[in-house]
Amino acid sequence: MSRYETNVVLYRLKKDAAFRDRFRADPRQALADVDLTDEEREAFVRWDARALNELGGSLHLLLSIPGLGGH
Amino acid sequence: MGRIVYAAAMSHVLYPDYYGENVGPHGRRMVEALIDVVRAMGRTLAAAAPDALVVIADDHLNVFSFDAVPALCVRIGRSVSRMVQDDAIEFDRALEGLPERYPVHEDLANSILEKGLQSGFDFAASWSAPLDHAFLSPVSTLYGDRPVPPLVPFWVNCFVAPQPTAQRCFAAGCHIARVVTEGPWKVGVIATGGLSHFPELSLARVGQSDVAFDRRVVGWMEAGDTEPLTALTAKELHESGSHELLNWLVLLGAVSPARARVRFFGEMGRIDLAALEWGVA
Repeated sequence: MSRYETNVVLYRLKKDAAFRDRFRADPRQALADVDLTDEEREAFVRWDARALNELGGSLHLLLSIPGLGGH
Repeated sequence: MGRIVYAAAMSHVLYPDYYGENVGPHGRRMVEALIDVVRAMGRTLAAAAPDALVVIADDHLNVFSFDAVPALCVRIGRSVSRMVQDDAIEFDRALEGLPERYPVHEDLANSILEKGLQSGFDFAASWSAPLDHAFLSPVSTLYGDRPVPPLVPFWVNCFVAPQPTAQRCFAAGCHIARVVTEGPWKVGVIATGGLSHFPELSLARVGQSDVAFDRRVVGWMEAGDTEPLTALTAKELHESGSHELLNWLVLLGAVSPARARVRFFGEMGRIDLAALEWGVA
């Protein structure tokens, strides 16, 4: 369930520039309505790509989100 | 009677900047050497003058997202777009500057889909899925400035578990070959991706490949030995980072029992790059 939500957020971050801007400005607020566990939410907020990957986040999305992905 | 007039498989990030940035000069030089080989292969492909080009590749979570992930999907419709990614980084930049739209070979695509459903292959169909680098980086490198023939994009779910089995991908390729034989067209078939990289799809393991695995797999293809290839398990593919070999397995089903000729094999560290052709003409 959460793996799906994590990847939906990653997908939106890649494909939805307005959402990406909101996330970069205030990640906690941008994710306020998203059904994530506390661990997932905190990994997003501090943008811990390795933790998100270990929680089931797609490697290919994590590498390719403009402004956030890559190495 | 139709026939497959050209068959090949190759790595699909044919973009020197990507390897230059992530690996360094060694990576850039290696992919540039591969690009030269793929361009030469493209001359052979173009000379075969296929009426259609079946391209078997995977989605990098760009097209199907996580709302629905088809195991195997045929792109139908009249044309197909290049994926658009704003502020693209990494491998998505391989799409920059490529044409925005390509023709689809509607009749062959529909035949593969409809005859598949009639014979036990419950392929998904898409009228709108765009193409990412897995399709267009090889196609654009093969064809250069020449006109690209009508495409039949065919997706394999390589990255979202559970994936289709190696055996099932091979069987799907056998089906594609049967449909080609029953039709009137000359058809090229290419599969893309690999070789091993991103083991376990783990960010911590980016930069690793499995050279021994890749050499073993390529050896089987050279020998025309499909049995160990179709016996590969999801666990083996995942652990070695050979997820995209499933694309190649579809092609192997389409060309079996032909043997592969290795046109390029390079060990980069981050990935092993390869390009192979099968003697089908």
